[in-house]
Amino acid sequence: MDSAFFEIEGLVKRFGGLTAVDGVSLSVDMSEVVGLIGPNGAGKSTLVKLAMGLLRPDRGSIRFRGREITGLPPWEIVNLGIAGTFQNTRPFRRMPIIANVMVPCLAPRARKRGEWVKRIEAKARDALEFAGISDLALEPASHLSHGDLKRLEMARAIATEPDLLILDEPFGGLNPSESELLAKSIKRLHKGGRFGRLHSEGVAMIIIDHKLSDLLPIVDRVIVMHFGRVIASGLPQEVVNDPQVIEAYLGREEVEGDGHPA
Amino acid sequence: MNPRRLYRRFASEVLVLPGRTTVLAVCLVLLILPLFHRHPYTLRVLSLTFIFAIFAASWDLLSGFVGQLSLGHAIFFGVAAYTSALLNLQAGLPPLVTIPAGALVAVLMGLVVGIPCLRLKGQYLSLATMGFPIILTGLVYLFSDLTGGELGVSGLARLGPTRLSEYYIALVLVLGLGLIMWKITDSKVGLVFHAIREDEITARASGINTPLYKLLAFCLSGFFAGISGGLYSHFMRVAGPSTLSVLTSFQPVIWTIFGGVASIYGAIAGTFVLYPLMEFLRVAPELRTLIFAALVVLVLRFMPEGLTPWFIDRVESECPRCKEHNAVTRRTCRVCGAPLGRPSAPGAGPFQPGKGGRVAG
Repeated sequence: MDSAFFEIEGLVKRFGGLTAVDGVSLSVDMSEVVGLIGPNGAGKSTLVKLAMGLLRPDRGSIRFRGREITGLPPWEIVNLGIAGTFQNTRPFRRMPIIANVMVPCLAPRARKRGEWVKRIEAKARDALEFAGISDLALEPASHLSHGDLKRLEMARAIATEPDLLILDEPFGGLNPSESELLAKSIKRLHKGGRFGRLHSEGVAMIIIDHKLSDLLPIVDRVIVMHFGRVIASGLPQEVVNDPQVIEAYLGREEVEGDGHPA
Repeated sequence: MNPRRLYRRFASEVLVLPGRTTVLAVCLVLLILPLFHRHPYTLRVLSLTFIFAIFAASWDLLSGFVGQLSLGHAIFFGVAAYTSALLNLQAGLPPLVTIPAGALVAVLMGLVVGIPCLRLKGQYLSLATMGFPIILTGLVYLFSDLTGGELGVSGLARLGPTRLSEYYIALVLVLGLGLIMWKITDSKVGLVFHAIREDEITARASGINTPLYKLLAFCLSGFFAGISGGLYSHFMRVAGPSTLSVLTSFQPVIWTIFGGVASIYGAIAGTFVLYPLMEFLRVAPELRTLIFAALVVLVLRFMPEGLTPWFIDRVESECPRCKEHNAVTRRTCRVCGAPLGRPSAPGAGPFQPGKGGRVAG
């Protein structure tokens, strides 16, 4: 088998004495939607930050389309086609929403030579339209609610027209109808096509979340992390019935003296 | 475009907004002022105001927009002043050559300062920038044969043949360079500058090569500060260590914060008010600095965001729907027709995309 679309091998990241990511290996195929789940502190967000280039791993390698991307600066990784969102949303607070999304449209990947500001604005508007917050385009980001900030993160990520999209807890803090909307747009994005001036060829995705009810219907495969390691991987139904996974989430029945948090 | 159409566009883009009309009026007054009043002292004070306004705006470009708070901006001013002075005296080049040459050296200095500063943030960056002019002052004293030590380099060629010509050179440059800087900040590059100030990590995750843009900001800012430094040395006909002093570094900070940060025109307006004021206060020489400081503190107490945002808030209101600015006297928005209520709380940041772009004729 030749090299996978996106592949992580033996990745290790330590913070002082804590090993947040402990030898994780996984791979994602082209246009596959993978759910990454695990209890709090399992190392999911660290893994995502490593993949986005915001942290440097201590050991291991990350490859994208057969190219080694370990240690590349984040903007080069974005320009190769990997975009991600932040779990704790990080907008450009004092800038209007539309300007927030115009910034990624200026990245070399998304920009065509000699594009005018007007065209970039139109493109950013399409990304907002897609994420469902275009009516707020002119409000400053500091006025947004939590759910809208999540959608802004999404709009910012898809504005770079990525091939691999990493969503860190996109459903966190959303109410049921908002979650449903988001799930719909994720499905649409995965199917591919044109969204105004944006173009997608069936984006591969890694989605991190706790809310299994939202996550499981939209993913092809689930990977479970616990204490920095991958403990299970497979189809959603298989994984949720895996005794190891149930143990990680709910604790063992004979809780006494096994050291795992319940 | 025929003249009538041109006029209508001018009326719909400039005259409808009191803020822009005020800028235009100030420019016109300054352009025709020498027709009525050409006392050499007035011209001298105003020329220096113009030169320092370029300097303050260059600080705003780096620190106000990109958020790289530089407390050693004198490095660019001083290095260009000395370069122009030495090129003029040693090589006999005219100001037309020495000033751009000084600015280019200041651009290189932008790289020298910028590259180590890429790894620094916040107050550490400010402290590091403060160190550079001190290092250069040390070098100036060390090579006093060339630089004249404490006395500096004197006897430079004049900027222009007469005070009046110098006044116009400085005025045209502050208007032209101010416009260029404002255009830079209003462009795509300016958008990235804003983004870096707001959240550098998000900017990186959006695919922006932030170190490159930060270096660009250091070089651009150095270029404009360098031009003002060269102008200053030829205007004063001397380049001394005072051009590298801590005071020279702090003055643009005070002027810009007084005028309103991250707007370019705020920096220029702040300088236009404060520099002549400082000169005027020479009537009470012992109390000059005290009165000046008290005034600045008092004014900022009532206009915490600076002079220009306060003024614009008074004469213009923002449409709640399309965020376009309107004269405060209007009842409906001139662009989208939405009714204008009381001006809302100042919320949006200094950046407004397509400002003045979508204006109905």
